[in-house]
Amino acid sequence: MMRLALTHPLHLVIGLTLWSLWFVAIYGGLSVACAVAPPAPAQGALTAINGVLGLLTAATTALLAWLAWACLQAARDELGRPRFVAAVSAGLYLFSAVSTLFVGIPVIGVPPCL
Amino acid sequence: MSETAHTATPQDPQRLHEEMQEVWGNPRGLKALTIVNHTTLGLRFMVTGMVFFLIGGILAMLVRTQLAFPDQEFMSPEIYNQVFTMHGTVMMFLFAIPMLEGLAIYMIPKMIGARDLVCPRLTSLGYWCYLFGGIILVSSLFLEMAPDSGWFMYTPLSSGEFAPGPGSDFWLLGITFIEISALSAGVELVVSILRTRTRGMSLDKMPLFAWYILAMALMIVVGFPPLILASIMLELERAVGMPFFEVAAGGDPILWQHLFWLFGHPEVYIIFLPAAGIVSTLIPVFAGRPIVGYRWVVVAIIVTGFISFGLWVHHMFTVGIPQLAQAFFSAASMLVAVPTAIQVFVWLATLWLGRPVMKLPMLWILGFLIIFVCGGLTGVMLALVPFNWQVHDTHFVVAHMHYVLVGGMLFPLMAGLYYWLPLFSGRMPSERLGRWGFWLTFLGFNATFLIMHWTGLLGMPRRIYTYETVMGWEIFNLLSSIGGFVMSAGIAMVLLDIALHFRFGRPAPRNPWNADTLEWANTLPPSPYNLVSLPTVHSRHPMWDDPDLPRSTAAGEHGLPGAPFGRRELWGSDPLTGKLREVIHIPTSSWWPFLAAAALAVVCVCLLVRMYPLAGIATLTAVGLLLRWSWENGAHPRAAPDARVAPGEPPLHSRTMDGPGLWAMSIALLANGSFFLSYLFGWFYLWTVSPEWRMPDTSPLSLPMMLMAGVALSAGAVWLEKLVNGLRRQDDRGLASGMLAITLLGGAQVALLVWVIWQADLAATETAHDAVLLLGLIYVLLHGALGATLTLLQALRVGYGYVSAEVPFEPAVVARLWRYNLVVYWIVLFAVVVMPMWLGGGA
Repeated sequence: MMRLALTHPLHLVIGLTLWSLWFVAIYGGLSVACAVAPPAPAQGALTAINGVLGLLTAATTALLAWLAWACLQAARDELGRPRFVAAVSAGLYLFSAVSTLFVGIPVIGVPPCL
Repeated sequence: MSETAHTATPQDPQRLHEEMQEVWGNPRGLKALTIVNHTTLGLRFMVTGMVFFLIGGILAMLVRTQLAFPDQEFMSPEIYNQVFTMHGTVMMFLFAIPMLEGLAIYMIPKMIGARDLVCPRLTSLGYWCYLFGGIILVSSLFLEMAPDSGWFMYTPLSSGEFAPGPGSDFWLLGITFIEISALSAGVELVVSILRTRTRGMSLDKMPLFAWYILAMALMIVVGFPPLILASIMLELERAVGMPFFEVAAGGDPILWQHLFWLFGHPEVYIIFLPAAGIVSTLIPVFAGRPIVGYRWVVVAIIVTGFISFGLWVHHMFTVGIPQLAQAFFSAASMLVAVPTAIQVFVWLATLWLGRPVMKLPMLWILGFLIIFVCGGLTGVMLALVPFNWQVHDTHFVVAHMHYVLVGGMLFPLMAGLYYWLPLFSGRMPSERLGRWGFWLTFLGFNATFLIMHWTGLLGMPRRIYTYETVMGWEIFNLLSSIGGFVMSAGIAMVLLDIALHFRFGRPAPRNPWNADTLEWANTLPPSPYNLVSLPTVHSRHPMWDDPDLPRSTAAGEHGLPGAPFGRRELWGSDPLTGKLREVIHIPTSSWWPFLAAAALAVVCVCLLVRMYPLAGIATLTAVGLLLRWSWENGAHPRAAPDARVAPGEPPLHSRTMDGPGLWAMSIALLANGSFFLSYLFGWFYLWTVSPEWRMPDTSPLSLPMMLMAGVALSAGAVWLEKLVNGLRRQDDRGLASGMLAITLLGGAQVALLVWVIWQADLAATETAHDAVLLLGLIYVLLHGALGATLTLLQALRVGYGYVSAEVPFEPAVVARLWRYNLVVYWIVLFAVVVMPMWLGGGA
């Protein structure tokens, strides 16, 4: 990722693309897991499915937050159009990170297949 | 490129105008059907959209008349079902989207300092498809055979068993036809915004309206194909019995809901974003200062474009989805309020820090802010699963939807129409009539739909034909109906004002609102070529920087003045920096788009009346016309047979390897990819979820033959890449023979696939598995045939001298299609043949 300059316009879409892939993965993964191997309802939220989804959420959030920070640093070093692209990208990565965390938080307390 | 290289010395404006008019002027009489100019076609889109709006409005009034009193028999239940279905369908598909596309088609080139959209004949094809499709769909009303399953056509209500008449077919075929129009506009708006901005208009200096339209166009490109796929599947089920949505045969009606809302929810934002673009354009003008937080708005636009694709399941909270999945979608639905709120606060801050002038357009903006914020808040309420369950399918949802769509689209649209009216006609609207129109519409709207929230909370379901007195809903319905008629009176007043202004309106001065964007550098009304010379932009506010632009552009004091080579030319610029890269030459008026759309209309009608042989002939005719259209390109005598440009100008795009056609192909393939991913989603969804899905123990498809077809395709794709790389080095040795050989490889792939389908003996009308399999095979087959045909045409074009080392552009475009075919083919092979082998037939 870092080979791509942080002022490159692709960063305007990478963050939310990662968010989209993560979203498809957790929704699709949950659906398939519940169709193939649903855990016992008595287990509540303490299931392997929730665990995997939670780890994926944490990892994606961390990656996006790191990219947000990196773009913000790049924006501080630039002027004009490159600064614009890096600053907007930083905002988009930050929003993607917060969105990932916010959407993923229910895995802590909601049983997966009920 | 130096500044002076592109800047002409002042010339006689009248002579320049005549020169431009000679090249860009629109034909008259019957030949007006051949016009491809964006100004004319944008206006046609908008006028046609307004006609459909009136039809949809009359249908709404019929609904409100029926519901005004309990136990009414104003309409029969059968007609009522058709009326509410067509009201929603007409408003969503024939008014909202085409109207905003029309505005974008009209406005974008003017705002970014271009002379037209980059694919003008595609604009024309889109318009005719829209018009013909709309006429076909609306004709069903007069034939009393309109669709009656609601505007989202849920299966099995819309399937053959419960909707045996042709109503659903009208919807499925008509809407698919109209979607050709939407996709055409989507593709060319994206490419035009990215590649034809005037010199210096880098991404950070682009008008916000262009950002909004860019997002909208990309959302159309990605969002519409799932519905196109769903419509094709349902029509195939209805017409030939392929059971995609029948549970007993392994299908699933919920698949329709997924595919529909994968399109349907983004569509709300496809409608909202351009409207918000109007708001972000007008507020700074009437506040007399630049918008506060340009970057924040760009962030909000991009976030909305993505997040809106992650909400579709909130329309399906009651169908039985695990609570955790519902929680994901509930959270995502709440999240989308954040970018919307960013924009609202930006608008308020701009008004706060500026000196707002409450002219007529601002009145509509004010109405928008009030209504849309209320609609947004009820949207957040509906994102909460328990509340959603309670009010699902009640009038509360109907009220919310109208607050969002009318508040979020119609009010800004009216503001925009009033704002740009001087540009359309050269005249100013009447403030008095306009204010009457606004207040009647605003009060009528709230009387109708605010009350409808309460009717819904009292439990009144949507789409019921009538109700009994004992329910306690009568007073609310009566008030809603009265409000509806008051709103109609307001709309009538607005239309009257607009009609009268053409005759009695005060002539508009130049830049009448003291706006900052480039469209106001045009004459009022604009000429077919927009600007005689194309200015260089140094900030986001070119008209505030240089109020003399209307004069200096008309005098030819800027770049690319006149039309010295008799071509329609505009600048091709770098998508990021706005630096000049090419001179783009675009085609002139033509019959091909009209004829192709007419042939497609015949296909549509023939499918409706089940005359399949004739439909096949019409399809071949349409394909032939489209291919003939593509022939007039590059160095063709009717395109750009010579490569002359003025000294210091960049080369013609057809003499480079990176013209707009390559971008258009890429964006079109993005839409195609969305269609393909929707297909894959359907395959895996039915495989994992459908209770009666039956996967055979062994695949009916011949793996060796499939592999051989894949090898032929791969060899052709690699060879084509090699030829394109040669052209990059100005080496065209073996181009014609190579193209012919690649055509043969493509033909071999097609022949092998036909053999695979033939020998598989699929029971496509008995099991959903075989139906989905066949659909996928036909998809790759058609793509293979298209790739081979285009390559054959390239071989012929090399022979005619239209493609060579000097004109190297087209093979790169075709190579992109081959690349796509290659990737898609191997994914299909893996997903439908290899994976079932690995995972076992009993899955």
